[in-house]
Amino acid sequence: MKGLQSIFLGIFGIFGFSWLGMTVVPNLQIGSLNPQSDDEGTDIYPMPASGMALHGARVYAANGCLYCHTQQVRPEYGGSDLDRKWGERRSAPRDYIFEPIVMLGNMRTGPDLANVGHRPALQEKGAAAAPSPAAGASPAPASGATAGTSPVAGASPAGAVSPAPATSPAVAASPATAASPGAVAGASQAPAGNAPAPTASASPSTMVANVNALTSEGEPLPYTAAWHHRHLYNPRSINEDSNMPAYRFLYQKRRIGGVASPDAINFAGAPNDQPAAGWEIVPSYDAKCLVAYLMSRDQSHPLKEAKSAVVAAPAPAKEGQK
Amino acid sequence: MNPTAGTQEPPLGDMEVTTSDVDRVERALIDASTRLPVLVFYASAVGWLLFATLFGFLTSIKMHSPDLLTNVDWLTWGRIRPAHLNALIYGWGSMVGMGTSIWLMARLCRTTLRHPLLLITGAAFWNLGVLMGIIGVLIGDNTGYEWLEFPGYSAITLFVAYLLIMTWALIMFRYRRRGHVYITQWYLLGAFLWFPWLYAAAQTMLFIVPVQGVMQAAVNWWFANGLLFLWFGSIGLGTAYYMIPKVIGRPVHSYYLATIGFWTFAIFSSWTGMMRLIDGPFPAWMITASIAAMILSVIPVATVGLNHHMTMQGHFPLMRYSPTLRFTVFGAITYTAFSIVGVIISLRSMAQIVHFTEVSMGWTYMGLYAFFTMVMFGSMYYIVPRLVGREWRYATLIKLHFWGSAYGIGLMVLLLLVGGFVQGLSLNDPTLPFDETTESILPYLRGRSLSWILLTVSHCIFAFHFGLMLLGFGRTASLPTFLNPLEEKSEGGH
Repeated sequence: MKGLQSIFLGIFGIFGFSWLGMTVVPNLQIGSLNPQSDDEGTDIYPMPASGMALHGARVYAANGCLYCHTQQVRPEYGGSDLDRKWGERRSAPRDYIFEPIVMLGNMRTGPDLANVGHRPALQEKGAAAAPSPAAGASPAPASGATAGTSPVAGASPAGAVSPAPATSPAVAASPATAASPGAVAGASQAPAGNAPAPTASASPSTMVANVNALTSEGEPLPYTAAWHHRHLYNPRSINEDSNMPAYRFLYQKRRIGGVASPDAINFAGAPNDQPAAGWEIVPSYDAKCLVAYLMSRDQSHPLKEAKSAVVAAPAPAKEGQK
Repeated sequence: MNPTAGTQEPPLGDMEVTTSDVDRVERALIDASTRLPVLVFYASAVGWLLFATLFGFLTSIKMHSPDLLTNVDWLTWGRIRPAHLNALIYGWGSMVGMGTSIWLMARLCRTTLRHPLLLITGAAFWNLGVLMGIIGVLIGDNTGYEWLEFPGYSAITLFVAYLLIMTWALIMFRYRRRGHVYITQWYLLGAFLWFPWLYAAAQTMLFIVPVQGVMQAAVNWWFANGLLFLWFGSIGLGTAYYMIPKVIGRPVHSYYLATIGFWTFAIFSSWTGMMRLIDGPFPAWMITASIAAMILSVIPVATVGLNHHMTMQGHFPLMRYSPTLRFTVFGAITYTAFSIVGVIISLRSMAQIVHFTEVSMGWTYMGLYAFFTMVMFGSMYYIVPRLVGREWRYATLIKLHFWGSAYGIGLMVLLLLVGGFVQGLSLNDPTLPFDETTESILPYLRGRSLSWILLTVSHCIFAFHFGLMLLGFGRTASLPTFLNPLEEKSEGGH
């Protein structure tokens, strides 16, 4: 009987030991972090997400996005996350303190999404500073097939890495947008094209909300909200090699009554997905929330505890950096 | 040295007629008392296995043919994948594990099963919980935490069901005969007590009083690895410790080694959870602790492996005849391989490459299927004839089942490990566009669908054979069904 007691005690002790060591103690260390702010108490990061993004997290979980996409950027010594431009710095515990469901993910069948909401801003910066190779696809008489794939070329991290010589300085997205008919929101982009690029690494989030930004073919710019809707509706309309499932059940096909909905998916350059004349495809509330959630994925704000490669480079380094 | 191993098991056909041997009568009574509850658990488990197989097959196909069945929300890839994995974990794995544990516990406690109704109610509630959970995941109530996808209404049902079952197990243990506690009972007691604590702690820290930020991920993987090792691992190892000595008819090589193996297994494997979060946004010490625990878990693996090997020494030819031994030894050997692969992928230099690839999936299947499920198949081949009083009908079907499962899972694990490594190398080459990293794994994923064909066929064969046994179409014979005709007198039992 004595031996038996020690078995029970051992079984309980082992569980308690691992529970304390793996959950309770770490929770004391990183379980009650506060947002970071500067000395004046402004520039607070992170901020709680909006209501739509909160519901979007549920949609993201419900449809299993987390089984193919991670939301964490590993440090420079852990893989090529930073080289792939999935973030400007590693992720830190503080980035997640307001997340309703933390979906760090365990698999990268698809790319990391930790900063996917920040990418439109990054691209504008990239386009302003050094026109990206994607612009090479912009000459107007492009065939339908190449036009279908062009956003991907612009989106691919590899493209952003290699600073290909610009064919013409005017191919940056913004002037083209301004020229294209119906680009209401083009105004917010114009400064990016003409003025020198903003030096701050954190881009204004207003750009992120720029739903209607278009390429010269009238297609949505990569990683804008409109692009996400089209991508979710049919990933193959953007990248024919993608093996991502289509989430068509998050969209409704309906007859255009009177005025076309401003939310309707932009299928420019993808005639196969285009609904018949008089019909349009609009996102459901869930789809809008999912995209709001995606657009809220942004860890670009500098954190004291996670040094940013981009910010650190120009600054006089405290210690020797490699 | 122990009360069970070494006892020659009488051929089942004799059981109803011989009354001279007190032990035989006792065993027959115990078996009869466990008959209904264990068969209920087994039948449910086999049902869930078929469901998990169907959904696993579909998940695998949709991975490389994404436009298949794409317009229905509940059939989207991101919903059938958790449905598949949770059916495998909670439907098949947990139910077959509990069925086997109940029978082993009754046998080893040498007491007839009390309160079978409690168990059957527990099984019914458990089935209900899994069903609600699967439906919940399919209609979009996935919680977003891996291995814990079942929504709250399912989780609470599972927990209540579990308490019923565990209460029973403890009652059984309380009324056991004779003081000696065999090593299998240690593992089973551990599993029965660890599961509710793990489950309750994870549910509380994720849903009732949610922890902040990344701690959710830490709790999540602490639970998932806990379930993999402390629940499935314990039941699997405990069963192997019973079946191997029993079938070959000699005691465990070293009881002392077995004890060391148990405690080191429990201590180290319960700390391995953070190996799933290597280089993630966590304090480095957490992850280092898990990597260290993973490496140290080589100690129990070596101990258990050595012990089984020494027990089997000289009896390996018996695997030619005994289905139980063949499945169990396959599982026990894979357990060693599973742990070694676990150590390799936990090393930081390796994790850098394979961490976010199919390798982690391959490793999970290695533990859940190649080790645990194979051991469970073995135990069913041993236990079911003793419950229904008939022998397995067709040796050919058992052979087909074995080879289908062995080749199927072997192929799948190999493809996922190799393919995942290739995928990881491409992911780590930033000059390669992302699309090409996914393309690098696609041929392997197509191959995996082939392995699912093998598994599907083998599971259907097994379910058919099991159905025959349930319906009383087994053979009435004095000898168990051997895989191959005996060439000479076999010294072992079944």
